[in-house]
Amino acid sequence: MRRLILMATLVFVLSVFTSNLFAADTFDLVIPLPLTGKQAKFGEMMKRSYEIAAEDINAKGGIKKKKLNLSFEDSGAKPETARAIVENLIDTKKQPIIVGEYTSACAKAVAAVAEERKTPYLVVASADDDITQKNYKYVFRQNPVNAHYSDGIIDFIRNVVKPKTMAILFESSAFGTSGAEAMVKDAEKAGINVLLKEKYEAGSVDFKPLLSKVKAAQPDVLYMVSYVMDASLLMKQIKELRIDAKLFAGGAAGFAIPEFIDNAKDAAEYVITATLWTTQLKYPGAKEYAEKYKKKYGDYPSYHGASAYSALFVTKEALEKAKDWTPDGIRAALKATNTMTAFGPVKFEDKEGYQNQNFSDTFVLQVIKGEHETIWPEKYASKKYLYPIPTWRERR
Amino acid sequence: MTSPQLEVLLQTLIAGLLLGGLYALIGIGMTLIMGVMKIINLAHGELMMVGMYIAYVLFSLFHIDPYLSILIAAPVLFVLGILLQKYLINPVLKVEAIIPENQVILTVGIGMVLANIATIIFSSDYKTTPVEYATKAWYLSDYWKASPIELSLSMPWSVSFCVALIITAALWFFLAKTDMGKSIRATAQDKDAALLMGVNVERMRVFTFGLGSALVGSAGCLFIPIYYLYPDLGGQFTLIAFVITILGGLGSTVGAIVGGLILGVFESLTSTYVGMGWAPVGRFMIFVAALIFVPGGIMSLFRKRRLEK
Repeated sequence: MRRLILMATLVFVLSVFTSNLFAADTFDLVIPLPLTGKQAKFGEMMKRSYEIAAEDINAKGGIKKKKLNLSFEDSGAKPETARAIVENLIDTKKQPIIVGEYTSACAKAVAAVAEERKTPYLVVASADDDITQKNYKYVFRQNPVNAHYSDGIIDFIRNVVKPKTMAILFESSAFGTSGAEAMVKDAEKAGINVLLKEKYEAGSVDFKPLLSKVKAAQPDVLYMVSYVMDASLLMKQIKELRIDAKLFAGGAAGFAIPEFIDNAKDAAEYVITATLWTTQLKYPGAKEYAEKYKKKYGDYPSYHGASAYSALFVTKEALEKAKDWTPDGIRAALKATNTMTAFGPVKFEDKEGYQNQNFSDTFVLQVIKGEHETIWPEKYASKKYLYPIPTWRERR
Repeated sequence: MTSPQLEVLLQTLIAGLLLGGLYALIGIGMTLIMGVMKIINLAHGELMMVGMYIAYVLFSLFHIDPYLSILIAAPVLFVLGILLQKYLINPVLKVEAIIPENQVILTVGIGMVLANIATIIFSSDYKTTPVEYATKAWYLSDYWKASPIELSLSMPWSVSFCVALIITAALWFFLAKTDMGKSIRATAQDKDAALLMGVNVERMRVFTFGLGSALVGSAGCLFIPIYYLYPDLGGQFTLIAFVITILGGLGSTVGAIVGGLILGVFESLTSTYVGMGWAPVGRFMIFVAALIFVPGGIMSLFRKRRLEK
């Protein structure tokens, strides 16, 4: 017991000592992220992107000559853990701004804490509409809301596919549910009849019972909102059951990352997906970031990474423009943000019932010959879309 | 019933049976350990995860088919199980503790350690073994051109199902016909009587834990071609095994098979006719219902009838 106390004191003294030593010329930013559990894939991509951003920022002199010093805390995509991490950051470490998290459920928990403690929170890739609809003053969101994720897809469907019916499958999370709701509304507006709207539990092994129901309903378009592995499992089992819809569409997330193609292989061909960002876009710094990421980790990042990368630049700008580094000073600076990043233009607006929300274009990707290609809006297209798609029997 | 409805029903039943066969194999390992040691092994799913990682490593380094890797994964898991039992669980069994079930808690700890070791070695990325036959399937209309309905039978799912059946049959043969198997069953039925009859109970326990681990390890190899892999995947399969063990009757092998099949079919039917979001709810409804209405498991129903005769 005495040894334990001794050790605890030692650790405490050491930590006080070291933090004082470096406090002068660094700015410490602790970012909560899911690094274990089912969402770890996204957490890892974002962590790498934050690190690249920090390198770039520090290479150019840091933030007001202070070195940006990043560290990460694993929330395991559990809201209660995320909440505890952020409470600690604000109460004990007095961090004046919170950046991070991935799943909507965690972001909601963090947003509530940030608002309560009056500390600005920059949401990076959590899409649930709700987060910026609660009249929170301190919560800012850089990525578009879920309700707008499918804008590009709806546009594509209306102009090219012109379907009469649609089936929607979504995972039973905040992200999945709000994505499906948004699509139902959009479909109604476009005069498309939604035949089926079914949720499933993420991580399910067997989708075939659900899919055979979809097959019997014979929808023109099958729209799915899923995280990574469910997306490829769904497409594989769709191929197995030979469900021939006119179009298979995914609502970003799991469908928009390279792993989707790696895992679903030929079953991924012709699938379109919404996305918020592609490496083929001409935003300043986008290409450099994508190449740097690819060089380091062997694969191109998806929009999650780009948003994370840009979030640190938005943070940097807010910190530089803030009159002091108090939560309120930073909040005012964030509110005034109007900048161009690798992720696109960032400006926090109050409209359509959202507060401090950034609105930007969304895009449509299609898997063509095993690669994600930008196909819509046409002015951004890197390849002409392939439609109509062949039936499974014809594919072989 | 119209033909599309029939098609949905049949396809659902096929999916349920295939899933159930695999569930059964996961359940049997836990049931065996439960029967002999009287503890629930809550590291069961994590042992399956270890088996899957072995298959994954063998596939990505040496291109060994996941099905063949059973031949390697099963012995490795057997040894791992024996070591766990001998050096971790046995010592705890002997200790007087405040809580009577401390060995169960120990298995939770073992599970966590295994999951975290896997995270350190393999990172928390999803892994798959992209085998060529992953989406191959047989279609009814290919064989019977005039068929009014279209059914498909996935190749990897069917192969996994058949291998699971073969392993289960081999296990049944082992338990019913061999000396060792009989000793294990004797230990499960009555430890003291078995001891008096000259069965080395201690050794049977160690062996059973190894056997249970090997079974769930092979289940892992059967799962990886149709699913994917990440370090935290154990928990959900531990739960499934737990439900099957309760449903089948603690310690009954045949019960585990029946329980697995029932659970698979029930889950599939729930997915189709109630909603896929309800499948986990269905699973636990079965669990609760089994505890209340058939506390001895399905096998107790058969046993009762036999006594009445």
